[in-house]
Amino acid sequence: MTPAYATFGEVAAERRIASAPLSHVSIELGHLYMEDFQAGPERLREQFRQVAPWAETMRRSWQSRVPGGRARVSTCFLIDDYFSRFSTPAELVPMVLEAAAECDLTIDYLARESACAEADGVKLARLVEDRLVTDPPADTNGARPPVTETGWLCNGARSPHGGAVQAMGSARGWEPPAQNAKRRHSIFVDVELWDTDSRGRTWSCPFLAAVWQLLRLGLIRNEGELPVRPRPRGPSFPSDWDELPAIVQLNPAAAPFSAYSTLSVLSSRFLPVELAVRTILSQVFVDAEVLGQVAARSAGEGIPLRDELVDRISYVFLGV
Amino acid sequence: MLVMGEVRTGLLQNSGEIPESLCQSVLGLLSGERVRVSRRPIVYAVSPDQLTGVDCRLASASRARVRGVGTVLSRASVTGGRLLQGSSHIRVVRSESDHRLSWSHYLARAGVVEVFGKVRVPDLAEGFAENGARDDCLDLGSVSERFMDAVQASPFLDRKAPFRSARTRLRWVAECGGPGSTGTGNTSAGTGAGAASGSAASGGAEIPGTGVLSPEGPAIRFTLGRDQVRTLRLVLPGGFTPGVVDFCEDLALHDWLLTTLLVIVERARVGTATRGEVTAKLAPAVDHLLHLWMPAARLDEGFAPFWETLERRPGFSRQWQSLVERVRDQIAINTLALLREAGGW
Amino acid sequence: MLVFAISDKGGTGRSVTGSNIVYRRALQGSDVCYLDFDFGSPTAGAIFSVSSAARGTAQGGMHRYLEGRLADPHRIDIWSESDREGLRTKPPGAGQMVLFPGDEGGGEFSTVSEEMLQRCVRLFARLEEEFDLCLVDLSAGRSFAAQMALAATARLPGVPFRWLVFHRWTRQHIIAADGLVRGQQGLLAVGVQHGHDEEALADHIRFVRTAVLEPDAAELEGLRETQKAWLNECDRELRELAGRHRVGRTSMLGKIPLDPVLQWREQLISDEDVLSSQIANAETVAAFDDLAKKIVDDSAWEAL
Repeated sequence: MTPAYATFGEVAAERRIASAPLSHVSIELGHLYMEDFQAGPERLREQFRQVAPWAETMRRSWQSRVPGGRARVSTCFLIDDYFSRFSTPAELVPMVLEAAAECDLTIDYLARESACAEADGVKLARLVEDRLVTDPPADTNGARPPVTETGWLCNGARSPHGGAVQAMGSARGWEPPAQNAKRRHSIFVDVELWDTDSRGRTWSCPFLAAVWQLLRLGLIRNEGELPVRPRPRGPSFPSDWDELPAIVQLNPAAAPFSAYSTLSVLSSRFLPVELAVRTILSQVFVDAEVLGQVAARSAGEGIPLRDELVDRISYVFLGV
Repeated sequence: MLVMGEVRTGLLQNSGEIPESLCQSVLGLLSGERVRVSRRPIVYAVSPDQLTGVDCRLASASRARVRGVGTVLSRASVTGGRLLQGSSHIRVVRSESDHRLSWSHYLARAGVVEVFGKVRVPDLAEGFAENGARDDCLDLGSVSERFMDAVQASPFLDRKAPFRSARTRLRWVAECGGPGSTGTGNTSAGTGAGAASGSAASGGAEIPGTGVLSPEGPAIRFTLGRDQVRTLRLVLPGGFTPGVVDFCEDLALHDWLLTTLLVIVERARVGTATRGEVTAKLAPAVDHLLHLWMPAARLDEGFAPFWETLERRPGFSRQWQSLVERVRDQIAINTLALLREAGGW
Repeated sequence: MLVFAISDKGGTGRSVTGSNIVYRRALQGSDVCYLDFDFGSPTAGAIFSVSSAARGTAQGGMHRYLEGRLADPHRIDIWSESDREGLRTKPPGAGQMVLFPGDEGGGEFSTVSEEMLQRCVRLFARLEEEFDLCLVDLSAGRSFAAQMALAATARLPGVPFRWLVFHRWTRQHIIAADGLVRGQQGLLAVGVQHGHDEEALADHIRFVRTAVLEPDAAELEGLRETQKAWLNECDRELRELAGRHRVGRTSMLGKIPLDPVLQWREQLISDEDVLSSQIANAETVAAFDDLAKKIVDDSAWEAL
């Protein structure tokens, strides 16, 4: 008798990872804070005027890379409703759309910043925090838990501070902090991820911006599912931010929200924030299967992707 | 390619076995990621993979200074709702750079540690198996233990374990052939004097006919060391598969069962203590351990020959069976004696 | 179970009594360990006759572990590493007996950092998995070690713990023992600061009298009647004082008689010391044995 080959599978023992639809590039046209809003619509128009040529350059660059020029490019715009609440979607969104249109820009997707903390019941920021794998200083051999200052993340070893000292033992003098991957000299970065007060935890702006980049790169999953899906706009915009979906699709013909790569066109005042974002992102571990999916898709299109997340992110910093 | 890991095994700190539904809460070390559970032939639940960054020396038999940077891949698992394991491993490859790169480079290669300079596989394999974490070298066992600790500290466990037991430590090294083996230069398996050392402690097991670890065919050597330490050396000409990790965990689990049952039987003082005392000491084994013996239950077919070899020498299941029979006989005899006293026959 | 041994004043015989309790418990079949948390003077190795650790270990002990410089503190298996021949054979049925020594040259800590506390919690949790009884020998008086013990046990709600406060049978010691438990920044006050419930914590504390000389002891046979009467009077006064300071009979777990062996050479007292060489008194061993049983006997710890 020939041996019978039996296969046995168990659903609960297998992992299923949803795949995200992907554009070639996601362009962030702007990031609106209360102070920008208070400065009036002219400030917004000025910003869009500066952004437009860069967005166009990126679009053309992808069109030249993709056969037939069929580049999938989506644009997005982020409004802060997390650190301060101002105006209403009903009042603000049409104003933003109008200003963009005046500069021949189409905003495909509009996102709320608080969605990066929690969207549709999924605590995205917490999800990303759990996936931080801290950059180990030299002589980290696994024997001790990773050195962490609660709520902070750095790119090296901090200056030693006065911990417990044994009686009649010797205390240590000041020593400089050091960057782990330094080239002779250090650029040491220490980022505050969150703080707490009586209302609980408040995530920092760089941390939410890191979540924002991961969302745009289509690299976050919650129990294998995509945590946030853009929803089409309704006939009108609500009068309460909480009633606005986390990500609204404004343009029905838009290319997918997430993309192989991202471009953010920002005021140069965001440069330190983005340095912090990159410090965070270079320590986020993305599920290997998700990375594999994205890599397979892009390879199938003949578009090689960089292994490292931070290399998939581009910026334009604008002077005032 | 060289793969090395350490598995720590212990009793889940709970009065009884935990139901499958609780495994999700206890092993859910990572939000947004499900605990995977398989139910046949024994309930086995495993946490999502976890990474730990390291930048340190790797142990080497020649005491050469070998520095490695990368991430350790770890997971915790619960078998039969009763046994807890923390398991970590790395794949060692040669770095293409002569200095440390940005951390994102290493994070993009989960479970890989890149070593700088020229290294010899047998030297590293030997060093890790024999010395473990000495002199601030890479300490995979501590990483495994931390994930175990995180599980044991779960508020869902009552911490009222039915008996005390020590955690065991199984350090393993696999020299894998096939694709990827060029990364570390010399891939010939260690057959030097060091490879034979440690066998004095008993329990060595090899593929027949080789005598020492052979570079040509698959080979296995299991050594029972002092203080709960066991070492396992493997040669896998077919290359690395994740099944290696499953195999090492499975072996560690059964070695723990055997080790723990031996202690319980020894402490029962059969023949010296009263029948009641003996029964009381043996009862937890019957309640919590005897049904967990299921070697090679979930393994890839490719690893079956390794288990078969170990079953011949040292003969895991043979020793287990004889112990189990002894426990059952003792309890039967003691029950009979009690009945006789009670019923007068 | 975690058992913390503490005294207000030095010289109470806390360490030697604690070691003997651990030894007796091991002989009774339990797996036991002894943690030297007397950071300023890590000399527990001497009591167990492990000369390599008589002044602490050079291989990385409690100090370096708590400082985070070491993953596994050095552990010494007394049954195989003691210099005393009588200890080197584990009697059949006896449990494990392991010493976790301090570091050679180690000193008292200047503070308890959060990291240190976490390491302490992890250590206690791990040892509880392996041992039936972990005796933690704290130093005399208020110490960071005691504070750490209180904080750590507050974070380990599932792990049973008990405190033994050692004191000699003198006026000064009785008052001091009470102060250590109930005084300002005493065990109860600090325990509450770290999240313990005061009453529950108080129920987990018992006193042990050491170097006790009973007025009717055989050693006092030769005394004059006037001396005996005076001694009786002193003892009555002390009992009254102890009662007033809540260190009396009801909160006492046991007492250890005065024994020359303990006074002159702090060591484990084996049955052989009593039976063959007869250097120690049978009463002393009986007291250790009794204490070793009562420590784990819940009826001796019912709420007062």
